[in-house]
Amino acid sequence: MGKDFDFDQVGKRMPYKTPEGFLDEMETNIWKELQGGLPQTRKRKTYRLHIFAASLAVAASIAMVLVLSPAVRKEQDSFSKVERAFAGLSQEDQEYMLEIYRDDIFMNE
Amino acid sequence: MAASNDTEIVSALKEDAGKGFRMLMAKYKEPVYWHIRRLVVSHDDAQDAAQETFVRVFRSFRQFKGGCPLGAWIYRIATNEAMRVLERRREGRLSLDDPEAGADALMADGYVDYSDLEAVKLQKAILSLPARQQLAFNLRYYDGLGYDEIAVITDSTAANVKANYHIAKEKIIKYMNSTD
Repeated sequence: MGKDFDFDQVGKRMPYKTPEGFLDEMETNIWKELQGGLPQTRKRKTYRLHIFAASLAVAASIAMVLVLSPAVRKEQDSFSKVERAFAGLSQEDQEYMLEIYRDDIFMNE
Repeated sequence: MAASNDTEIVSALKEDAGKGFRMLMAKYKEPVYWHIRRLVVSHDDAQDAAQETFVRVFRSFRQFKGGCPLGAWIYRIATNEAMRVLERRREGRLSLDDPEAGADALMADGYVDYSDLEAVKLQKAILSLPARQQLAFNLRYYDGLGYDEIAVITDSTAANVKANYHIAKEKIIKYMNSTD
């Protein structure tokens, strides 16, 4: 380096180094963080679960009416429908439903 | 993935968050990281600040009204994140414009090739400048941005940016020609 520094000699060269693959790692980290807070995704999932929960509650209510009515003896069928509907849910949704209704006193009588 | 233009990225972000995310990252993750890295020096700090930048970009995207170029908006958020890192680092120092702070970080970071003496000296010269001159120089010299765009990023005027850039350049030449 003399008295005539020329930017063209260095150009855009920098002394900085980086770990291999850090940009991909960074992208993955950002996406993971955003997955926890993307409003559209969460809203859609919550809406879907609410529909399932409402459907199950209606089915359970009908089943209870049938059980309490001495004239009608189709409780086995009604509960079978509920069980089939529950079995048709994904693992994630089943866990959600169990979590919601685990402490429901009417469901656990 | 080939870099998309900003209009395509904005449309994709509105229609499909996942696709928009990939397009935005393909175009901006590298320049944003390097913009921050030149300011904060430390790789770890630069990576953290770049991650925080993109999280903020996505979470506040609805506030982006297109009044300025998307790139300028992202660079502005990135610059704020970098400044936040520097402020935290300088909390224990007497002056926010301590010219030794950047040079200290340069000598302490593990991801620096100290054998490239000329490149190390150039970064030291840049880091010795006041923040506004650093920003004007880096964004013009390394990122090739126009004075108007840099003015949006730094909340200044094109005339001020131009002045800061030329002052920075003169100071760097003087520093590089010194025998230290």
